[in-house]
Amino acid sequence: MIGSRARTPVTWIRCSRRSSLIELSSRLPLRPACSPSTWGHSLKSGSPSIMADSFKLPLRPVIEKSDRPDSLPRDIAQINAQWGSFRELTEASLREKIEADKDKDPWAEEDEADQETADVDTSERMEQLYKRRAEIIQFAGEAHAEASFALDFVSLLLSKHNPRQAETTMSLFLKNAAPLGSLNSEVIDPPPRPDTALGDIKSVARGWRLQNFNNAASKLLNAGLRLNVEVDAETEYWGQVLAVKEKGWKVCRLPRDGQALGVQYGFLEATPLFRDRGLAALRRADDGKLVLDKGLVPRKTQGVRVRIKYQGRIIGCSKVCRPSQDVESTESRILQARDTLFEEELFYEIMREARVLGNQGVTTRQNLVKVPVSEEQEILLDLVDWDQDHASEEAASSNEQNALADAISHSIRILLTFAHRQNLRRRTEPPLPLAPKRRPVSEYQILRPVMAYLQHKSHIQWLESFIASLRRVLEAADIKCDFSATQFSSIGVLQPNHLFPKVESLVGVFLAPFESTFSGTLITPRSSFKVRIRTNPTVPPVGTFYDISVNLPQFPEVQPLNRVGLQGEVAQAVTHFVMLDLAAAISLQNPKNQGSPGKVSWEVAYPHHGELLARDTAGQSKKMKVSLSHEELNIQTYSLSRGEGFAKPVATKSALLSQTWKPGASGPQPSLVEFVAQASRP
Amino acid sequence: MHELLLFASVPAHQHHELLQQLAGLTAMQPRHRLERRLVFKAYRKPGLTNARGGTNQGADIVRLNKMLNGGMYYTQVVGPISEADFDTQRSSSGDPDAAMSGTDEAAGSSYDYENQPWKLEFRDIPEAGTRSTITARLTASATLPKGDIVTPMNAWGYSFVTEYVVEGQVFIHNDIVIFLHRVLQYPIHGQEPHEPRRQLPSFRDMSPLERTGSYILQAAITVQDGSNQELMRTAFQHLFGLREQLKSAVRLEHADRLSLDTRAK
Repeated sequence: MIGSRARTPVTWIRCSRRSSLIELSSRLPLRPACSPSTWGHSLKSGSPSIMADSFKLPLRPVIEKSDRPDSLPRDIAQINAQWGSFRELTEASLREKIEADKDKDPWAEEDEADQETADVDTSERMEQLYKRRAEIIQFAGEAHAEASFALDFVSLLLSKHNPRQAETTMSLFLKNAAPLGSLNSEVIDPPPRPDTALGDIKSVARGWRLQNFNNAASKLLNAGLRLNVEVDAETEYWGQVLAVKEKGWKVCRLPRDGQALGVQYGFLEATPLFRDRGLAALRRADDGKLVLDKGLVPRKTQGVRVRIKYQGRIIGCSKVCRPSQDVESTESRILQARDTLFEEELFYEIMREARVLGNQGVTTRQNLVKVPVSEEQEILLDLVDWDQDHASEEAASSNEQNALADAISHSIRILLTFAHRQNLRRRTEPPLPLAPKRRPVSEYQILRPVMAYLQHKSHIQWLESFIASLRRVLEAADIKCDFSATQFSSIGVLQPNHLFPKVESLVGVFLAPFESTFSGTLITPRSSFKVRIRTNPTVPPVGTFYDISVNLPQFPEVQPLNRVGLQGEVAQAVTHFVMLDLAAAISLQNPKNQGSPGKVSWEVAYPHHGELLARDTAGQSKKMKVSLSHEELNIQTYSLSRGEGFAKPVATKSALLSQTWKPGASGPQPSLVEFVAQASRP
Repeated sequence: MHELLLFASVPAHQHHELLQQLAGLTAMQPRHRLERRLVFKAYRKPGLTNARGGTNQGADIVRLNKMLNGGMYYTQVVGPISEADFDTQRSSSGDPDAAMSGTDEAAGSSYDYENQPWKLEFRDIPEAGTRSTITARLTASATLPKGDIVTPMNAWGYSFVTEYVVEGQVFIHNDIVIFLHRVLQYPIHGQEPHEPRRQLPSFRDMSPLERTGSYILQAAITVQDGSNQELMRTAFQHLFGLREQLKSAVRLEHADRLSLDTRAK
């Protein structure tokens, strides 16, 4: 549709600039309506078939040789009358006069007057304005009076023949002053004019006519020139519009301004505020250049910047948007407008989402969103001009996390696009019945998935390092245990779904709760534990929770812990479970030593305090205390006198044996088995 | 629920152009919709309508019950199908030569009547009176069990009358569902069957009810509560707005009330 519109004006009119002839194609509805003798028109061919070709039409009147050449005496008389004397008439003065006449146009006098007024100052101008205004009013009054007189006169004249009608247009004064029909008119023959006068009138009329023809010709030629310029400009404009259209942009008529064309670069599924801004008018400058008219929107290129703050230092900053290489081309300006619009919408939506995330520690400033990830890490999002972005690069104290910042900035853009797709899906579903209450549009999920992912990741890292240090402690005591981790188990599997495109289901995975599991086998056979970490981005309860399940055959009363939120509690629980298992393992070490004489066997007395008891044949009791943390494992044995009971504090007793295992300790250390064997000796 | 409707007749040659126009107006691609529609007629006063569906729709259901117990109506049972469900070979009752020529496509017929989902759609006779510029009527719908539907419908007091197929394109324009469709009839070989077909004939054998191949444009908007005047006014304005927008393409009008009469005489 646009294509045909675009080409039409170009093919309709084609003017040649150089010649004083206007070439008009046959489709222009101009026909030689005037008679050939008047115009001296010269059709190239009279046959209608060639009429389709252009024909030439001289516009300047042909000055014919006068049939009656002026006699010399007349010329002399004219020169004398016009110039006074032959002495003052030289070729140079005549040429000057011609030049002066050529430049002068009929309205020149007024222009000069205008120029004069431009010089005078304001007060005088005001005065002049009032004077002119009074003059105008006076003239108008005079004109009105004269018109009334004329009307009265004509009415009175007509009242002779058509009194009723004439009466309606007569003024009250005239009606009172003169009776109806008191004026009559008759046709009289004018006295015959002398031949000389008639000849003068004829030649003056001829002169006037020639001059007017000349004026008309120059006007037409000027109009032709202007049309030519216009056509060139239009051609260029439409060419550029077509180029825009061929690039695949949607070109349409502006809804409010039916005459203008617009290009749609916005996103149809965006919030109405931004959707309506995604349309800019394609206007034509005077020289035919295409101007992208976005209205009052600032022309700066803006983008959302992501910065990573770690312990108060900025250690990563994302690149904003590419500076456009070719600022002048229409395509790049449209692209820039689109990108800026997208970025602004992104920031708007981030802001909107950040406000509902206040309960999760997200704070907003006028142009800044702060998202806490962990205690030390923070993400800052703001909307900046792209040149400002380059300036502030020095502010970043290091660039180690630039990759993370870039990843986040890509993710939030992908998530916004995903939200657009969801909007499209929702919009094209059959709507629910009209109900009094409209459901509000919920905030897009942009920050929440990012936050959840980063939180989850930081929790995984913490748990991983915690379990690794625990493992090193156990390994120092030569205890073998096996840990394994499945990180982001919820992400790995992508269910094929024919209802949604693959891209959408891929992003959809990141909006679902994240889940990771850590499991490990412990020292005693068949005992194990499992920690499940879940982070829920949207549905309350939001945040990260740990589920710790444990399988300890020795202590069937131990219950799993669910929905633990604090890392400290998780560390405590895991350490406690390992310690329980350690105590059980020590007590299980006995049976094989049962046969050997003189050895005591340890039994678990207070497992949750890590205390074991042993009673030898002599009735002497010994106590072993196991304490475990992620830094060290410490086992001490004490001797208890008979009847002292177990309830007494043992701290006052001096330790019989004590051993501390630390990871990376220098020198040979006994293994746990050796230590227990040593402690089992009476 | 209330349904407000406007209709227009679209000649076959305008169909493609109108599809383009509607796609531009609604900024979406058309969604193809193919439905089996079974017509049932109430043959005795149904008294068990309470048993159907979740009755949390309040006043509407009460009204519906009253109406169902008061008079007897034709209702429709609608089941969505796809073009793949139609038998790609000639219908079984056709001549054997045709069946032979289509044997290699026999695997294409995959219509499973036992798993056909159904929905009951009740439409009241359009409201009479001042709102004659738009067709407004009470509607209700409920999900039905899958598969053989005649037995439960008989139990509720409905007998099978006939069936047809509706084929068309759906557009969504804000709250308005624009359905550009036509009615297809099954090929008739001898006597009309007395129960829904278990096998669908070839899609090519389906013949349009309107011989000229013209389509019906239906613009519908549903309102949760028909007694809410403000909502109804909003819905009216939306429909009128659409009518204005489409004025240069088609003329949307209300339908003759009695032609949409669903009462069983």
